[in-house]
Amino acid sequence: MLNTSLRNTWLVIKREYLERVRQRSFIVLTLLLPAIMIGAFAIPAKLSSMKSSKIQRLVVVTSTAQFGELVRQQILDSGNTESADNKDKNKDKEDKDLDEDKPSRGYAIEVDANASEAERNALRSRVAAGDIDGFLWLSDDAVAARKVNYYGREASGFMEKSWLSGQLDRAILLQELGQKGVSGTQADELLKPVKLETMRIQGGKETKANDKGMFFAVFAMVMLLYTAVIFYGVSVMRAVLEEKNSRVMEVLLSSATSTELMAGKLIGVGAVGLTQIGIWIVMAAVYALPALAANASTGEIHISPLTLAAFALFFLLGYLLFSSIYAAIGAVITSEQEGQQLQFIIVLPLIISVFMMGPVMRAPDAPVSVWSSMVPFFSPVLMYLRIAVQPPPLWQIALSLALLVGTIAAILLLCARIYRIGILMYGKRATLPEIVKWLKYAKG
Amino acid sequence: MTSVNTVELNQIRKCYDEFVAVDDLSLAIRPGEVYGLLGPNGAGKTSTLRMMIGITFPDSGSVSMFGEPLRRAHVQRLGYLPEERGLYKKMKVLDQLVFLGELKGLSAHDATQRSLQWCERLGLKDWTGKKVEELSKGMQQKAQFIGAVVHDPQFVVMDEPFSGLDPSSAVVLKDAFLDLKNAGKTLLFSTHRMDTAERLCDSICLINHGRAVLEGDLAKIRAGYGKRNVQIKYEGDAKFLNDTKLVQSFNDYGNFVEVRLAAGADAQDLLRAASAGARINKFELMEPSLEEIFIEAVGKANA
Repeated sequence: MLNTSLRNTWLVIKREYLERVRQRSFIVLTLLLPAIMIGAFAIPAKLSSMKSSKIQRLVVVTSTAQFGELVRQQILDSGNTESADNKDKNKDKEDKDLDEDKPSRGYAIEVDANASEAERNALRSRVAAGDIDGFLWLSDDAVAARKVNYYGREASGFMEKSWLSGQLDRAILLQELGQKGVSGTQADELLKPVKLETMRIQGGKETKANDKGMFFAVFAMVMLLYTAVIFYGVSVMRAVLEEKNSRVMEVLLSSATSTELMAGKLIGVGAVGLTQIGIWIVMAAVYALPALAANASTGEIHISPLTLAAFALFFLLGYLLFSSIYAAIGAVITSEQEGQQLQFIIVLPLIISVFMMGPVMRAPDAPVSVWSSMVPFFSPVLMYLRIAVQPPPLWQIALSLALLVGTIAAILLLCARIYRIGILMYGKRATLPEIVKWLKYAKG
Repeated sequence: MTSVNTVELNQIRKCYDEFVAVDDLSLAIRPGEVYGLLGPNGAGKTSTLRMMIGITFPDSGSVSMFGEPLRRAHVQRLGYLPEERGLYKKMKVLDQLVFLGELKGLSAHDATQRSLQWCERLGLKDWTGKKVEELSKGMQQKAQFIGAVVHDPQFVVMDEPFSGLDPSSAVVLKDAFLDLKNAGKTLLFSTHRMDTAERLCDSICLINHGRAVLEGDLAKIRAGYGKRNVQIKYEGDAKFLNDTKLVQSFNDYGNFVEVRLAAGADAQDLLRAASAGARINKFELMEPSLEEIFIEAVGKANA
């Protein structure tokens, strides 16, 4: 009997899966979405890199050629080539932020030691004529007042402006330190920014804290879960609904039980979603592999195998849980519009989970974190978050998993019953008392 | 033939909320016979069939199949054809039939072979790779029929198998139907068309408002109603038609008139009365049609 049951479930899974995967719309969507994503990212990037091929011709106007040269070097060193700091693999956050502001374009800088009003007018006309792109006015007065003007045909972008002012700050400081008799290397030493490195003490062991990686991992999971549930959960609902509106299920019910059908549907349609996500992840990985490899060597994003395993497990179970709720909705309703009204049942726990993320991340061992990570509707996000932040005791993980699996099974059985009876009441939406009645009535 | 009935319904009753779909219904289907479940739309035919194949359960009463209380294992041995829309629209015909066959326990290979054989036989061979939605209604019904019989069930249950079929499809299906009967299968089908039932069935159950009005062997039922109809062709005086002692009612069809004899009247008296004033060209005693039996039985039940 169990064999027949597994066989039937398997047949339903196979049918649901193959029929969906073979559909043209599935293939088109699977290929189209990455194409759109790549388009959305690559085309602007391409455009900006095209822009960067055009070199900005600037004139730096200072009172002395030496200071002008210093400014020129400062801008060129960090603008045109990788700076020494950037090559340092252990760059800290501050450096990184500076890097992010770094303009993508190159510079050609001309030093002009004639800071006269006549020269300013001459340069203005050169800008107007398109001979140069702009000039920086660094007269002694301007430097003393720390108020430097940039004259250009196009106002620089905000990011570039802050980067440029950083470079000027540094150039001016170096200049002034030099004037006070501090040598270039000494000045570099003095200007070296502070690096703050956080360490995590975990089980008596000190590890380099990895807030960024962890946050990234949790966030990726939540986004993936949310997207998968919203995208594919609906198709589980639709699959159940579709059968209700036809009499296919009468034929099927004369061969298989409603539980077999529901389980098969849930897993089959679910697997379609996973296949699509899987294909996308592989595509993304191939696309981003060079960047990832570079990043991995820096140890910047480091995700432990435990976290990865928890990711897979909790994602799958969370996906199954919410899909099974969708299936239950599909069993109760008679049209998709009704289903949309009931979607909050699914979205609400997910939103609450997201709100709980902050408190749980701050205090993963607080009672509220422990217990909320046991609740099946929150545990896919919260227990996974706790594992990523700081692995909780094994019994807590086990209990959370057991509750989650139990809930999925319970919803599935419930849903099979509702489906079984609800399906035979054509064109009529079930009221709550009716559902309760069906549940009492249904014998299997 | 064994004496164990294929199906027995024993005083089953089924309510949906306040509505009583089937009420105190009993019937027995013998192995190897063609059984018709008849009645107007909404009489409770589909509800009855569903209880017979384990989709729903009666509120009270019992269903037994192959001599035992209905179990899931029995359901595996029957084939079911629902009233239209019983196939996945987007699925290819052959895939669909193989899927249904496999669910009934066939291996993928057997399911494929048998589906192909049936498709060939019913003229669907060129359509096996098409999606169900691309098929005409008649072809869909044929595919549905194959889905019900592909696993060679002992007992085939069909809900309105002939509804909406063009005459040529109906003939193909009827032939397949009779082949199954000749192969010793038990067939049950519901219909609201009395003439179809009249031609195909060995036994019938007439239901109206969820209750059995008549049940049993069709020939015996007919005999029980006797030859109460007379077809008369005449020339001359028609006043004999108004003799209420002899004539209960009549229908004038132009070429002939069909007379229903009054209760207790003798056909010979009618002949004498008629020939007294008219020239009789034809005088034939007829068995009542199922339709008339039904109307009369319902009339009695309501009275």
